[in-house]
Parts: sequence; structure tokens; C-alpha cells
Amino acid sequence: MKNYDIIVIGSDINCLVAAALLKINTNNSVVVIEPTHYFGRQTSEYEFFKNFRSNLIYDYIDWLDDSLIKKLNLGKFGLNIVEHELYRVSLNKNMQHLKFYKNFLKTSNSIKPHSVNDSKNWKLFSEHIEKITSLLEPIYKMTPPNLSNISFKDSISILNLLKPLKNHGTRGLVDFIRTIPMMMPELLDEWFESDFLKASLAVSGIKNITQGPFSAATGLNFLHHHINCKGHIHQNIFIDGGTYNLTKSLLNFLNINNVDVIKNTPIESIISSNNTASGIMLTNGKKITSNMIVSGLDPKNTFIDLIGLQKLEPSFQTQLNNIKYRGSVARIFFALKDLPNISGVKTEELSEIFSISPSIEYLEKAYDDAKYGKISSDPAIEFSIPSIRCPHFAPKNQHVLSATVQYAPYKLKNNSWNDSVKDNLIKSVTNILGNYITDFRNIILNTTLLTPKDLEEKIGLHEGSLNHGEMTLDQFLFMRPTISTAQYKTPIKNLYLCGSGTHPGGGAHGRNGINSALQILKR
Amino acid sequence: MSKINKYDAIIIGGGHNGLTAAAYLSKAGKKVLVLEKRYILGGAAVTEEIFPGFKFSVCSYVVSLLKSNIIRELQLPKFGLELLPLESTFTPLDGDYLLRTSDCDETYRQISRHSPKDAEAYMRFAPLMGQVGMSVRPILETIAPNPQKPSFYDLLSIKKLFKHFNSLDSKQFEYLCKLMTMSSADFLDEWFEYEPLKATMAASGIIGTFMGPKSPGSAYVMLHHYMGEIDGAFRAWGFQRGGTGEVSMAIARAAEYYGATIKTEITVKQVIVKNKKAVGVYLENGDEYQADTIISSLDPKLTFLKLINRKDLPDDFVKDIKNFCIRGSSGKVNLALDSLPNFTSLPGDGPHLSGAISISPNYNYLEKAFDDAKYGNFSQKPYMDIILPSVLDPDMAPPGKHVMSCFVQYAPYNIKGGWDEHKKLAFGDAVIDTISEYAPNIKDIILDRQILTPKDLEETFSLTQGNIFHGELTLQQLFSLRPAAKWADYKTPIKNYFQCGSGTHPGGGITGSPGEMAAKKILGKQ
Repeated sequence: MKNYDIIVIGSDINCLVAAALLKINTNNSVVVIEPTHYFGRQTSEYEFFKNFRSNLIYDYIDWLDDSLIKKLNLGKFGLNIVEHELYRVSLNKNMQHLKFYKNFLKTSNSIKPHSVNDSKNWKLFSEHIEKITSLLEPIYKMTPPNLSNISFKDSISILNLLKPLKNHGTRGLVDFIRTIPMMMPELLDEWFESDFLKASLAVSGIKNITQGPFSAATGLNFLHHHINCKGHIHQNIFIDGGTYNLTKSLLNFLNINNVDVIKNTPIESIISSNNTASGIMLTNGKKITSNMIVSGLDPKNTFIDLIGLQKLEPSFQTQLNNIKYRGSVARIFFALKDLPNISGVKTEELSEIFSISPSIEYLEKAYDDAKYGKISSDPAIEFSIPSIRCPHFAPKNQHVLSATVQYAPYKLKNNSWNDSVKDNLIKSVTNILGNYITDFRNIILNTTLLTPKDLEEKIGLHEGSLNHGEMTLDQFLFMRPTISTAQYKTPIKNLYLCGSGTHPGGGAHGRNGINSALQILKR
Repeated sequence: MSKINKYDAIIIGGGHNGLTAAAYLSKAGKKVLVLEKRYILGGAAVTEEIFPGFKFSVCSYVVSLLKSNIIRELQLPKFGLELLPLESTFTPLDGDYLLRTSDCDETYRQISRHSPKDAEAYMRFAPLMGQVGMSVRPILETIAPNPQKPSFYDLLSIKKLFKHFNSLDSKQFEYLCKLMTMSSADFLDEWFEYEPLKATMAASGIIGTFMGPKSPGSAYVMLHHYMGEIDGAFRAWGFQRGGTGEVSMAIARAAEYYGATIKTEITVKQVIVKNKKAVGVYLENGDEYQADTIISSLDPKLTFLKLINRKDLPDDFVKDIKNFCIRGSSGKVNLALDSLPNFTSLPGDGPHLSGAISISPNYNYLEKAFDDAKYGNFSQKPYMDIILPSVLDPDMAPPGKHVMSCFVQYAPYNIKGGWDEHKKLAFGDAVIDTISEYAPNIKDIILDRQILTPKDLEETFSLTQGNIFHGELTLQQLFSLRPAAKWADYKTPIKNYFQCGSGTHPGGGITGSPGEMAAKKILGKQ
């Protein structure tokens, strides 16, 4: 039996950040323990075929918390962020691809063939989104107030939110309140007329959730992906050497600061009695005791699997059971014997992110399938060729294409994720990619599919939900993960949450970890 | 030389909200003139004899949300208001049915026939919804504050609302938050398992909107409809004797009793604005009326984009009104019947015919109906809310005959290729074919039919896109944002020009609330 002051369960970026902050601010003994084989979870690396590797989930990161790199000085620990002038291409069958550049004017020129009006509106729209997200940013940095029992301290923290209003005036607040509950067409119709452009943008509103563009509050999800965006729509951050290097730099930080890290060690349970947690029991029979346990796993894993429902209040049980997860993102990796050739895309542009999202109707129909428990027959696809930026992903002159596919629902109606279902999905994605990539089928050496079910089994995501619970309005802010646990505290004494299931939600940004650590340090 | 007449207030539109405002203003001693374009008063709350002897509540067909203080303050029963309770909700299914009635024990028995668990849950659900509905009431009764530049009065009402929310217990607060944000399907899934029950309840979350039961935001619309079940009896949905037009007529009689002048078949062409102040109206016939206050009960698009010269409005405001979402999604089919329909699953006459009949067998049925609309077609198998007013009020039809009112969703205003006579008939056929699957005798007993597409609703009732709520009831179009930020308190950027239609807070339905609150705002001002 071993004892630590603090145990952090899980190894995604939120867990590592929380461990780092707790260590440097308290100098307590801290241990990080990852139950699965994949250290870093969503930001780990995956060898899907002999000598072929890829980023397991995220080929890029939407945004990183702006204080994180500075606070932990991650640059010193091996983190290097790469930004390109061109960063995203939305593919078009008529070869009039939409290209997103850091420079507004260049993007605007790329929009011109689709609509002159839209290209004129581009800069205004970008500024509009930047204005709105700048109001969301301080909300992301706070512990959500407990509104059903609001204290004086809470109301002060809400007042802090109004600070950015000084820059934008109250009209900004109105735009902010209006945009969050909107559906994608409502937001985009106010600015644009080209359906192709609108669909190219709407993918951000449906990204990683099981909602279609016509679902209300996809506006929220859109904004969620544009935090700290500086007006760059569809922004992305590439980590030099692969997304796993973000995990690695944090791991280096922890090692140097004497945080113990235990990999690949399944946990049997969180030991608790009388509503107080006192340690964890490992599957191998060993026990680690502690008076502070911080779980970065999703609420289902934390409470139902590790604590046990029977130890919780009935009303909390109901809340836990009602959390919506609904993973519907599948990953497909292709090992390629050659660099693919995409018509209308220059070789030096191949290292960017590509999206297949021809029209709003296409995306909504993809969602319709998921709504009825089926895999989208024509899914929305985002792909990249990570081996260009990370040569160690594939043998020399060979490549990896990794695709994120929506929607492939975890729960299939009258069906299961059997081999023929999987083969069909691979076939349809290969076909769609084949429409854009010359001779695609002939350069494929291997194809590997990870379904939401696989993601659940491999990296412990309940129902394969990348966000640890849907990013919808009813699971946002003070309602995330439940109205009773939105302050990172739980009904179990000494047990805290720091995962994506808490405010401000999913992604490899680390903000949940920071918020949680700050809350724990206040204790 | 045109005629010039002077009033204290002119109200454009003789719908129930316009009439309510007129009644309150004249009761306060104002000289009021109401101008209605059609030959008949009531707007969308109107009764018309479409076929000889057969009277129809042509558009709005049930009353539930009419505020009790309006009924009291305007003494509406004295002027003809008489609500007959709708006793039941009947969901015919293939070979079975679900029936909920005003008798709690019977409803319990009926639901437990399908799911004992749901029957238990239902008994807990109804009171909770009642409580949550109650907790929303103070919001609905508050004049929406201006978030951009709150006045002293606004701050007071915000403070009052805060205090109110602090008084809710945590469970009520939790469910209120959920209802404001979830889809009705997700919300009901937390409670029930039997699909026809869930779908029928979820259906009240889609009425009048361009949403499906699985669309987030539909739970709020469901709550909006649930507020009708607060006052008094468990199911306070009612049918007005003589049709919904009689509700409007009762309010009109009250207004006239207090001294209002009401004129029909007079079309207002434009509001006269001088020095940024509304001073009167021009009529289509060239006449002109003057007044200190002009009030429009039309929807926001008509109120501002049609009645006002663009140059008299600030650009930002015009943009906001253009961005205000009004999506037509529903149609109406009114049938004159030779006898009563006979449902296969529950044959013969009975209490199931004296309430609402809901064609909503399961979520997927409703979602598929919505899918059709999303892609610009009317639903091949539509959702329907049907009532037979003549069962409750035999005067609606000749002896032994009946009228049937079918509210149909979805019929998108923006149908592919536009609405034409052929599509209109096909739409009517789809409705009747769908009914005949549950009541096969329907085709034999139809004497006449009236089909109203959203286009017809727009043309007949001056509803933009045929939307019955004057604008979607989505979160971003409620309270302080309805119809636009800064102008949710019934005032407009033009001095002395006010709005009092369903496009203002608290939104659509036969509530009378916008009319009442606008009148009270105006009276407070003057």
C-alpha cells in the first residue's frame, strides 16, 4: 500500500495539467495513473498497422488555453506549435476548393468564385465571431456558479464576466446571447448565401456531437471550437511531431517536478465510505490511499464504474443516468504506399486539414441517419495526411491518411458493430475519398477503423463520446456534467472532477484541468 | 381631399391581441380605433361559415392560454366567453390506442395498460410540470427588460425575477433549466418509455415551430403549451362555444362596451411618421386617420418592414427585424362531415371524440414528417392535432353533421418550387389518406374540405410565412430579444408607435398577453 497526497486518475491533457498545477502550487506528493494502454488518451499516438502510426483522435487542436503554455513553460519541455498561413481546405467536386488562410483577404478571394457578396462579408463575419468568443472566453475560465443556490461570491464572479463588455458595448452581449442557442443555418444565413461556404462552416457546429446543422444550439458548439481564435475561422493548432507531443511535454514537466506517473494500470474502484473517498483500489489488488482524488475520467466512469451507483443519492443517480453521451465519431486510418494526389490541391498544401461537406442538406441527411440509429450513408469527413508533418508516422515515402467520420453512432438500431457493418463504413468512406483523391484505392496498403465502441474499449470513453458528454445547451456551464457537480466538487468528499465532462467541455485545451486545480487549491 | 379623423390610439389589426389592447385602452378612457383588413374580426382566432351550415375555427382552434386576469378584468364571460373543456387526448395506433382523459384514475389505467412504469411516472410528471409552469409565469408577466440599456424599472424587474428564481427549490430549478434547453424527446425520455405516450406529449413541443421532437429547444415549446394546464382543472385546454372567433368577438364586444370604435374591411397602407413620431395612418382607400399613439398587432416583419418607410428606421434595427426568424411550418385542413369518423382501434362514438385526437404514434413518425419539411416538401405522413368541435358544440354544424379541424404539420412555407393548386390538393390528400389509415370511413363521410397551406394562411390572415406564432419560439427570440433587443418592451424606434402582436413577449397562442401588456405599457407612459 502506498500513500499520496493527491491522486489524479486519467492521463488526458486535463489530468496532466491538473496534476502539474497541483504539484507546483502545493508541493504535495502527486501521482497520475492511467488505466488504459493509451497514455494521453485522445492525444495519444496509435500504431494501427505495422510501422504505420497516427494521432489517435486529434490530428490538430482547436485551441489551447492561452495561459497554459506560459504557466508551465511547455516550450522548454518540448512543445512546439506550428502555424501555417493556409490551414484548411474544404473540398469541392468542381475543384473550386475553399481555402482558409490566416489572412482574411486570401480566404475572401477563395470564397469569391462561390459568391462575391460572401467574400465581402468574410472579414466582418470573422470579426463578429471573434467578438462573441471574446465574451465566452472569461466564462470558460470560471468555475460555473451554482445558480440554484447562488451565493454572494458567485454573483461577483458573474459580474467579472461583464468586463469584456467594455470593449464591445452591450450589443456584443446581445449578439452573444442570440448566437449560442442558434442552429447553424440561422447563424450563417445572416451572413452568407453560398450553400457550399455555409456547409463548410457548419461542420464546426456539428463537430464531435450527435446533432445536425438544423439542431438548435449548434451555435454553441461552433463557438466552442473558436475560443481564442483571433478571428480565424476553423482555426487549428498543429503540434510539431504529432499531437502526442503535447502529452509528452506535460509528461516531461511532471517527471522533472517529481510527479509519479503510473501507466497502463487498470483501476478497480475508488475506495469510499460514508461519502468520503480515501484512495483507489487497483485491479492487481494493490491499494493507493489519498485524501484527494481528482478524476479526469467521464462521469459514467468515475461515478458509476469506480464509485458505484449504490453509494450515491437517488437524485444524483438519476442525474448521472440522464447525462447524454452519444458518441458518433469514427476514425479511419489508411496506410498508403504513396503520397496521395488531390485534384486542385498543390503538393505543398497537402499537409493541411481537408473537409468533405458539400452542402447543409448533405450534413443534415448524414445526421438524419444517425437520428434513426444508422450510420450515415454519406458521412461528413475531415481528413489529413499527418505523415507529411510527422515523418515517423510511416516508412520512408509512404504515408498515413487519417479521417474523422460523422456520424457513426455508438448505438445502432437493430444492429451491432459487426464486421460487415464496419466493412460497409470503410467502403463508403473509401469511395467518397476516391472522388477527390486520384487513384486512391490503388495506393491503400491497410485500412483500420475505430468505431465509438472501439474508442470506449481502448481509451475508456463512455459511448465513444470524445467530449465526455454531448456539448449541448442542457449540458453546458452550470449544468455540466450535472447541476449538482458543476463546481468540480462531487457529493463524495475528497473526490473532484477535472475531465472534459466538466465545464467548459471537450477538446484538448486543458481548461477543465486548470479550473479544477484552481478550485481544489481554494479548498 | 381625404377625410381626417383624430383618435387617442389607432390599433392596426383586429386579432385577439389588437382587440385586447383596444379593450384595455378604452377602459382607461382613451378614444380608440381598431382597423381590420378583413370583413370579420379575430385575425387567426376567427370563426367562419365556410360551407353553408358548417362553422369552423378556421385557423386557431383551441384556447388554453388566455390569461385569467384578462378574462376577469375585461369581464369576458359577460360578453360571450364560454370555454367548453376538451376532455381527452386520443392517440389512435395500428390496432391499439392511447387515451388520456381528465379523469386521473382512468388515465392511470389507460397508461398502465401499456406501461405501468409510465403510469406511475405520469402521476409525478404532471404536478412537476405544473410547478415549473408556475415558476415561468412571473417571466411571462414581466415586461421584458432592455439588456442593452436597462432602465431603473428594468433593473427592478430583473431584481424581482432573480429573487423569484432564488425561491425555487433545486429540483424545480433543474427542470426549468432542462426545459429551456433540451429537446422534448430527450426530456420525456428521462421519464417515460412508451413511445406513443412520449410522442404525443412531445408533439406539443413542435406545434407552430419548424422543429422536430428531437430538436433542442422543443422542450420549451412544450412547456409553453403546458402553461395552459395550470389554472384550475388538470386539463384546461378548452374549446370556445361558437368557435375561437367568439373569443375575439367577446373581447371586441368588451372593447366596444368601453367605447372603442372597430372598423372592418379597412386596410392600412402605411403609418404616417413625422419628425420621427408616428402621427397617423394612411389607408389603401386614400383616407387618413390621426392619433397620438399607433399600435400594430401585426407580426414584426409587417409591423416594421411593410407599414414603415425604411428611412424612418435605424439600419441596425432593420437588420434585426430581417433576421427575426418566422418560418411557416403548418397547415390546416377543415372538413365538413356527414357523420362521425369511426376509428378502427376504438370503434363507435365515445369520449375519445370529444377531445384532441393526435396522430403521433412514435418519435420517428414525427421526425420523418419533419425531415420532409427540412428538405422542402410537405410531410407525406403528417403529424396532426384533430378536434371535432361539433361534438362539444352541436351548433357548429347542421343537425347530425360534423365539423373536423385538422392542424397539420409539416407544411413548409418554402416548399420546393412554391405552393400551387396541384401541391395544395396533394397536401389535402396526404392528410385525408393519413386519417383514413386510422378511421377508414373518413373518405366516405367528407362533404366538403377546406385546405389551408402556409401560403393561404399568409394571404388570408396576414401572417408572414403563415407562422401562427408571429415568429419561432426559439431561445434567441424570447423575452428581451422578442422581436429585437432593445425593443422588446412593446415600444419601437419610432416614437408613439407600439407593437402588441404575438411577435412580442411572451409570444404566440390565444393568450391576450402581448395586447394586455402593451396597453399597460402605453398607459404607464401616458
